[in-house]
Amino acid sequence: MSGIYWLASYFKSGNTWFRAFLQNLLEDGDRPVDINELATGRLASYRGWIDEVLGFDSADLDTDEIERLRPEVYRWSSRDGETAYHKIHDAYTYTVDGEPLVSREATLGALYILRNPLDVAPSYANHIGLSLDETIAYMGDHQYVVCKSHKKLPAQLRQKLLSWSGHVLSWADAPALNRHILRYEDMQADPVAAFTGAVRFLGLPDDPVRIEKAIRFSDFGELSRQEAEKGFYERPPCAERFFRQGKSGSWRDRLTPEQVARIVADHGEVMRRFGYLDADGRPL
Amino acid sequence: MRYTAYNLSIDSEIDLPELLPVQTCNTESADVKISFGSIAPGGLTNGQRLGPFLWAAPESLWLQVPQVARFLISNGNDILIDPEPDIDEDSIRVFLLGSVFGALLLQRGHLVLHGNAIRIGDQCLVCVGRSGAGKSTLAAGFLQRGYTVLADDVVPVDNDCRAVPGFPRIKLWQDVAERLNIDTTDLRRIRPNLEKFNYPIALTADTPTLPIRWIYILNRNTVFDEVRIESIQGLQRFQPLRDNTYRVRFLDGMGLKPEHMRLCGQLAGRIHLARVAQPDNGFMLDQLIDRLLADITENP
Repeated sequence: MSGIYWLASYFKSGNTWFRAFLQNLLEDGDRPVDINELATGRLASYRGWIDEVLGFDSADLDTDEIERLRPEVYRWSSRDGETAYHKIHDAYTYTVDGEPLVSREATLGALYILRNPLDVAPSYANHIGLSLDETIAYMGDHQYVVCKSHKKLPAQLRQKLLSWSGHVLSWADAPALNRHILRYEDMQADPVAAFTGAVRFLGLPDDPVRIEKAIRFSDFGELSRQEAEKGFYERPPCAERFFRQGKSGSWRDRLTPEQVARIVADHGEVMRRFGYLDADGRPL
Repeated sequence: MRYTAYNLSIDSEIDLPELLPVQTCNTESADVKISFGSIAPGGLTNGQRLGPFLWAAPESLWLQVPQVARFLISNGNDILIDPEPDIDEDSIRVFLLGSVFGALLLQRGHLVLHGNAIRIGDQCLVCVGRSGAGKSTLAAGFLQRGYTVLADDVVPVDNDCRAVPGFPRIKLWQDVAERLNIDTTDLRRIRPNLEKFNYPIALTADTPTLPIRWIYILNRNTVFDEVRIESIQGLQRFQPLRDNTYRVRFLDGMGLKPEHMRLCGQLAGRIHLARVAQPDNGFMLDQLIDRLLADITENP
């Protein structure tokens, strides 16, 4: 089947973990794949992809012009008869022409990887080198955009993230989108069930032996061991490590009660919907 | 108006202030003609579609930049421009002097590298790399140290592995200009909607075509904390030259691949080729230039 499955998520929500799993699953090798050679697909906001398809430099376009052309690029790239798995951090948004950024024709589906925002906050703060309060403010900002500079050339294209809730809902409620929602916490609690569900959604063979091995070859211990040994090229300059803790619930040691209350106030509705709050509105 | 760039005389109906003008006292025809005219919107009837906005045939390349213009480049000597209504000329020029000239130089049989060329004595180095790797910043840095920049962004290589000089400007982002203490107040924007400027450089019509001795592939990385240079040996040298060819996909439809492979092989045999990893954090331009110059001294 020709088209793109998007591996979609907010930042620091398990996307790289899933890509490592996927590559191990596809390669089915005798040893874990090298984290610096993850080649499951491209990044939707990778400038080189856009430039290659357009035939002219996106660096000579403004951000609105680029956004308008992105669906064309994905449409063109989905015509080669292959099924592709590309990573995306943009929210599911629409161009000025009212077309989904990811193009309906290009898209076979979206695997949306979701993580408790209480755990996203400390991880993302470390990733971008900002304080927790600043990060929490960004996560609550409906206009949040990354790589937006007009004064220099970011390696990636501008991405509209929206708020954390806005990001989740944009993908979870996008009309007529074939989607599967995968919670980071379920990937940890019951990896076989969680990864098998995702594999079936992506139309890949659900051989239990292969899945079990791919889970083992991509577990947190392996990923962080490789990073400690040889570094990880996706690590942002300001962060000491990309793979830091890989735990759920560490927010209890990292966030103040005020910070927890702020996140719950900003995102309570979406947190409740996806099982991160109990019936009384308390974090789980 | 007649101009010169890439050792070509160019007659153009669109003003090209970035290029060197030349006086003409005879009616001798120019090497290249640039004119306005009508271009069919649907691509090339006898061509191959290479992208949503790109068609190629053995003698021609059709390129559309939506909202700006369509371009038809033919036989290595003719460029036709069909502008969108109300588009400004700066916007047309940006793509004309980039992809369109790149296609023209490919049609003329050059190996065209995506990078910039800097004169070192009687030879030159070429820095290649993807967009955002820091090529123009590096060129501006060399310029500030008194070196001559032969070509920025598009470097045609002739059959004798020499870099052909382009035209006297570097495209510079505001951010880079600030870091280099370059005042952009009086510089022309490359397009009205971009904080990116035409930075004029001293290049004259008699700037020589110079043999390429060193090619450096610029990469950003977060693994190392210092500039690292790693030379590439033997057969490994071919693919990076192919990968850093300007608009390599244009070759597909124009039947130029065999010649391109020959030129890459020929160049690979003559140069010192190395990968340069520069840390993503901080601005290490001075260190980068020092390391490149040291590597050049070690590999004369």
